[in-house]
Amino acid sequence: MEAIVVEGLRKQFDPPKGPVAVDTVSFQIGEGEIFSLLGPNGAGKTTTISILSCLLRPDGGDARVGGFSVTREPEKVKALIGVVPQDIALYEDMSGRENLLFWGRMYGMSGAALNKRVDEVLELIGLVDRQKDRVDKYSGGMKRRVNIGAALLHNPRFLYFDEPTVGIDPQSRRSILDGVKDLNASGVTVLYTTHYMEEAQELSHRIGIMDKGAMIATGTQDELVRLVGERTRIDLTLDREAETLAARWRELPGVSSVSAPDDGSMWLSVQDANVLMPKLFDGARAVGARIIEISLAEPNLEMVFLHLTGRALRD
Amino acid sequence: MRHAWHITAKELLQNRRDGLAALFTLVLPVIFTVFLGIIFGGIESSTLPLAIADADGSAAAQQLVQQLEESPLLELEVAEPGDIDKDVRDQKVAGGLVIPAGFGAALDEGRPISLTYIRVETSSGAQSVWQAVEVVVSRSNARLLAARAAAEQVSIKTGRPLDDALLASAASVTDAQLAAPAITVEMTDSGSSSATMAAGFDQSSSGSMVNWVLFSLLGIAAGVVWERRRGLLQRLSIAGVKGREIVGGKMLAMVIITFLQQLLLVLVGQLVFGVDYFNSPLALLLTMVSLSMLAASFGLLISAVFRSEQAVIATTVISAQLLAALGGAWFPLEITGASFSRAAHFLPSAWVMDSLHGIILRDWGLTRVLYPMGIVWIWIAALFVLAVWRFRPD
Repeated sequence: MEAIVVEGLRKQFDPPKGPVAVDTVSFQIGEGEIFSLLGPNGAGKTTTISILSCLLRPDGGDARVGGFSVTREPEKVKALIGVVPQDIALYEDMSGRENLLFWGRMYGMSGAALNKRVDEVLELIGLVDRQKDRVDKYSGGMKRRVNIGAALLHNPRFLYFDEPTVGIDPQSRRSILDGVKDLNASGVTVLYTTHYMEEAQELSHRIGIMDKGAMIATGTQDELVRLVGERTRIDLTLDREAETLAARWRELPGVSSVSAPDDGSMWLSVQDANVLMPKLFDGARAVGARIIEISLAEPNLEMVFLHLTGRALRD
Repeated sequence: MRHAWHITAKELLQNRRDGLAALFTLVLPVIFTVFLGIIFGGIESSTLPLAIADADGSAAAQQLVQQLEESPLLELEVAEPGDIDKDVRDQKVAGGLVIPAGFGAALDEGRPISLTYIRVETSSGAQSVWQAVEVVVSRSNARLLAARAAAEQVSIKTGRPLDDALLASAASVTDAQLAAPAITVEMTDSGSSSATMAAGFDQSSSGSMVNWVLFSLLGIAAGVVWERRRGLLQRLSIAGVKGREIVGGKMLAMVIITFLQQLLLVLVGQLVFGVDYFNSPLALLLTMVSLSMLAASFGLLISAVFRSEQAVIATTVISAQLLAALGGAWFPLEITGASFSRAAHFLPSAWVMDSLHGIILRDWGLTRVLYPMGIVWIWIAALFVLAVWRFRPD
């Protein structure tokens, strides 16, 4: 059963000359799924989530969340969703508990039921001991957890996470990812946006890859990787930058794509690594560079993105 | 509207914890009121200085000087005839009057005699002093003419010689009659103008109050912009809170805060400086609530229109200072002339100042402040509707 159905969403800022942030995007999310929107910054992920949160009105298309239209029945949609924003949307001069009580009241809760639910959420986010401290005394990870907690108070059926791990330490990131999985296990349908391939791979039942406002592919991780075909990924590191090398290697038969950030590392999508590797060494030698590290890997989402767009996710 | 109440409670909690807000809301306004009150406290009345030089020294001249001293508008400064012109030119005094030698003798003989009035032509104060001198001189002329006419009639009817004793007796009767004149004019105030001008603590206390409440525009508007930038307003919107509930909740909180600020300034004004705020508590209450509502609604409109903190700060500071200054919070509008005062009354702050001065100086009651406050409430309604209309969480 499809819990969220998005059909032909379109949003342009400052029309007619402004950028098209979301361009005729369609996808579905099944009940109980974790669906990730994966794409680089500016791909249109946040705009899509804003439309599904009824914060922005689309110029075209519509979406149904739990059977309700985001354009015609926004109040009904809002009652079903919880949104974890990218920024820490909390009152820092109030304690964690005071914040949760306030946001609970905004969701129409009150009295003993609200207090009980706040206790449960504090337990869930692991902040029972620090609940009376002001938020501005919390670490970044603790703030993120309260930020998530505030979206859980009213037991939403759908949870949207908008890049919740940006700028936080690995330990807090791990905690958040585990939390998302636990929430999903309790029956919550999750829409998760990220530009970290690893997060999308770890969390998602299905993934939508966005670029420049468009949905360029959707499917399970396996389905998406199959788009790359029978290819292998070669990761390598050079002893120095060799700008011309990427162009030279792209011309080699059997090389599908080459990603070459500025840090000396490169990776290639190739059809037959055994045949190609000697040619790579020859090419490096020809421009005076030396390969100091090389490894083979199975295709992943990064490779899918490169295959579909010609650019790396982190470019 | 239950959301609005919770937003109000949250705002009050945050303000209670904000030491800087307490400094700007409560401490600094009191310090400024005291400071300005002390500076302007010496200018306690609306009298204007008149330099007077008596080159005659007769009893009649001294009597004229005494009558001028009794004028509520004049403050006499005795000067030498040669110094008056310089004093007026240097604006040490608003005008100068020279009583020439032979003044008393001329009056005794019934001969006309002229006084010399010296002024700077462009000075509005000089015109006021001139009118006050004219009143005193006219009154003296009337007294002398009446006394002389009465003495002559007595002399004709009774054959009694017209001597000094008869003239003195007639003058005495005339003085008694003039003390209780047959016709008097009772002045009542209309609109904003009044003969009574606020000065000293009456002006500094009420002016500071309006000034600081308007200054709170900055806190209101900057707070909303900060919440918008942090995504808090978006979060409220996602939670299903309506824009009018957000605006209403914030407005109510700011009304409460600025009302408490005013209450403190009123108490300081009344108890420390003797400003008569409590002439009409109900009129005062209405004026205070109106001023708080005005500042809150204007601040929220600015935050709804402008997105960046820089734009909000610049707009609120300029708006608040213009409203305060042009509305008469920095100086009484009565000293600016009719045209400026009329123009200033396009601003709601001028009507608030009118109301406060009316309560303090003219015993205005609730019904008397309804008109100026009605105008202020039209502003409040318009600003609030515009703020709700323009309000966007993102």
